[in-house]
Amino acid sequence: MVDAQTRRDRFEEIAPALIEPLRRFLARRTDPATADDVLSETLLVCWRRLEELPAEPLPWAYGVARNCLANAERGVRRQERVAAKVAVLDRPAESTAGPGQGDDLLSDAMAALRPDDAELLRLWAWEQLTPAEIAAVLDITPNAASIRLHRAREKLRAELRKTGQPAGHEGSRERREP
Amino acid sequence: MSDHDAGWDDDPELRDRLRAADPASSLPPADPTRVTRLLEDTMNSATEDDVLTTESRETGTHDRSPLTWLVAAAAVVLIAGVALFGFLNRDSGNDKAPAAGGSPTVTELGAPGPAAYQARCMVPTAETLSRQGVAFDGTVSDIAGGLVTLKATHFYAGDPTELVKVEAPDVDMRALIQAVKFEDGKRYLVSATDGEVSICGLSAPWSQRLAGLYAQAFTS
Repeated sequence: MVDAQTRRDRFEEIAPALIEPLRRFLARRTDPATADDVLSETLLVCWRRLEELPAEPLPWAYGVARNCLANAERGVRRQERVAAKVAVLDRPAESTAGPGQGDDLLSDAMAALRPDDAELLRLWAWEQLTPAEIAAVLDITPNAASIRLHRAREKLRAELRKTGQPAGHEGSRERREP
Repeated sequence: MSDHDAGWDDDPELRDRLRAADPASSLPPADPTRVTRLLEDTMNSATEDDVLTTESRETGTHDRSPLTWLVAAAAVVLIAGVALFGFLNRDSGNDKAPAAGGSPTVTELGAPGPAAYQARCMVPTAETLSRQGVAFDGTVSDIAGGLVTLKATHFYAGDPTELVKVEAPDVDMRALIQAVKFEDGKRYLVSATDGEVSICGLSAPWSQRLAGLYAQAFTS
């Protein structure tokens, strides 16, 4: 079974570079325990489908993580609908923000967007992906990713303008009632 | 990059503002030991059987002729026969203690203390393995409380016995069971130094790769 050894070597060559970005990807989107579970699951899928990994594996791996996370969250929703609802509406993204803590205006504006648009913006700004890479994550064409990203940015700017604060300025102290 | 990527830097101000709110910016990097273990766990939890099953469903088996299966079945029978022959032969040799009546022979091992799990793991090599006092191939026949019993089929190092009992306080045993992934009925390659089962990939579910390392370590 020379193959088994080759597979392991290939995985050991590729996977370490995926772990850190995947950890961050998940930390941005779910609680630490779920993030750990989904990370293991994502790696397992990468290992099992090693032969399908594209030359640029990270966006593909983000796509896998996204699906695994969606599955995990569906499972949670089945078990405890109320808790899951809270987790989805009030993502740790907003509650544990680091240096950007206090940009309520931005969090509110993001929350007001359609989930798909908000996710596009997160992939763009947090994962720092190009439209072509975003396309690989979401399994859409690069052209569609480019157009949707453009629109999502416009919507976010519009949301931010609604409260009279141009993008890039410190958020107002006003808080939307939960 | 294609011209689709031109849009990436359209609004650096907005992107920077979003980035400032990145909840992962305060996430410390993963502990390298954990990363190594995570990779090892990933590759081990999908054993070769799993890989074969997944692959055969998606790629391999559609166009295999019945003859292939016949040959495969014949090979299995042949391998089983050889294994049985070897097993019986070994029984009569000195590789295995005679089982004539009485209770089976037992090697007793312990689990490492908590400190062992803090240490950094190196990738297992034949050289590290060759320094192990006990090394064997066996199948878990029982897991209960602080005791894991394995039926040994082959000893690479140490005095051969029929059974190996790993006994440890509950806490240590739980950690060991997690590290080695002991499960009832599964086959393992286990090694030990100073009477304690070695972790860090030196003891693990049976795999072609690890069996190769064991063979390499203990035949030279």
